[in-house]
Amino acid sequence: MKHLLIIFLTLSLNSVFAYDGDKHVNLGDKATELKEEGRSRDIHPSLSEIRKMHPAFLMHKRDKTLRQGVRSKRNSLKQCVDCHSATKNDEYVPVNAPDQFCSTCHQKVGTSLDCFSCHRTTPEEDL
Amino acid sequence: MSKKLNRRDFIKSTGVATASVATIASGISLTTFAADENPVTNEKRWGMLIDTNKLTETNIDDMVFACQEENGWGFEEHSTGDQKANWIRKVKVKDKATGKIDALPMMCQHCDEPPCVDVCPTNASMKREDGIVLVDRHLCIGCRYCMMACPYDSRSFVHEDLSNQKEHMPRGKGTVESCTMCVHRVDKGEMPACAEAVNSDAVIFGDLYDANSKINRVLKKVQSTQIRADLNLNTGVRYSGI
Repeated sequence: MKHLLIIFLTLSLNSVFAYDGDKHVNLGDKATELKEEGRSRDIHPSLSEIRKMHPAFLMHKRDKTLRQGVRSKRNSLKQCVDCHSATKNDEYVPVNAPDQFCSTCHQKVGTSLDCFSCHRTTPEEDL
Repeated sequence: MSKKLNRRDFIKSTGVATASVATIASGISLTTFAADENPVTNEKRWGMLIDTNKLTETNIDDMVFACQEENGWGFEEHSTGDQKANWIRKVKVKDKATGKIDALPMMCQHCDEPPCVDVCPTNASMKREDGIVLVDRHLCIGCRYCMMACPYDSRSFVHEDLSNQKEHMPRGKGTVESCTMCVHRVDKGEMPACAEAVNSDAVIFGDLYDANSKINRVLKKVQSTQIRADLNLNTGVRYSGI
């Protein structure tokens, strides 16, 4: 019984330490820059909120943009891609490619990502 | 009769006061946000007047090319013939009695009463308040009823996986698409790409409800027509010279 308890505790402690809330494998170039400047909180005041609620924000924004013509930057997918794209060999890597910003979490939690069958996966501007 | 304010009443009254303050406060924040997030209204109706006499066939080709460049269609590799996207195309019409041949650019006519919107089972095909008819690809299931319903054959279906789309114009396999009257440009206060590609007198873009707009002034003066006017769709795109 004791052994079992020890094994259980070790496992659960492991998973607690494995989770590091503020780190992200691939934040993207602009987002990393903003974070280093300490400006990321201006864009996402609460990390847990954007992590949990981004599908709802995007869904709300898409209807406002398409149906009402409101083209503000907040919560627009274009803006997400703009900041969270990483570059490699002077080229943008698609945000939905493996190990990139969008796909890392989505792979981990096993949810499919359907934005990018239509939406552009890299910022439009040239490097 | 005076009544002492007991604990319960006090809590009730403060509760009401706090709620009203909160309402006012949220009202203020809503109005400040609304300043740069105004939705489009039906006080405007965007339209186009195309004078075929002032357009050569090369001009029409330029319009088609400008649309392709702006919206990124026409570069599909695996689609063949009818499968290819066709947001705007050159159509030639011949008066059999006189033999006069006219070429005209044909695209979504942005009807006031669009048949494509009537038939759409998912409400993906829709008309914006300012009269621009669009496909909401988030809701489109690719049934293609709207393609059948459109009298102008102006919609196309994407048959293949696409990549490298334009940032402002998402397109993808399994959905229907058509001319958007360059809605992303119109929202910025610019003109559609096709109108910008040719002489400003040949294709006039503007607000059909504004009495002072160029399009309205010209429409009052010259003879213009809607294609298939018999269907009573009240199109936003009108033609003169045919």
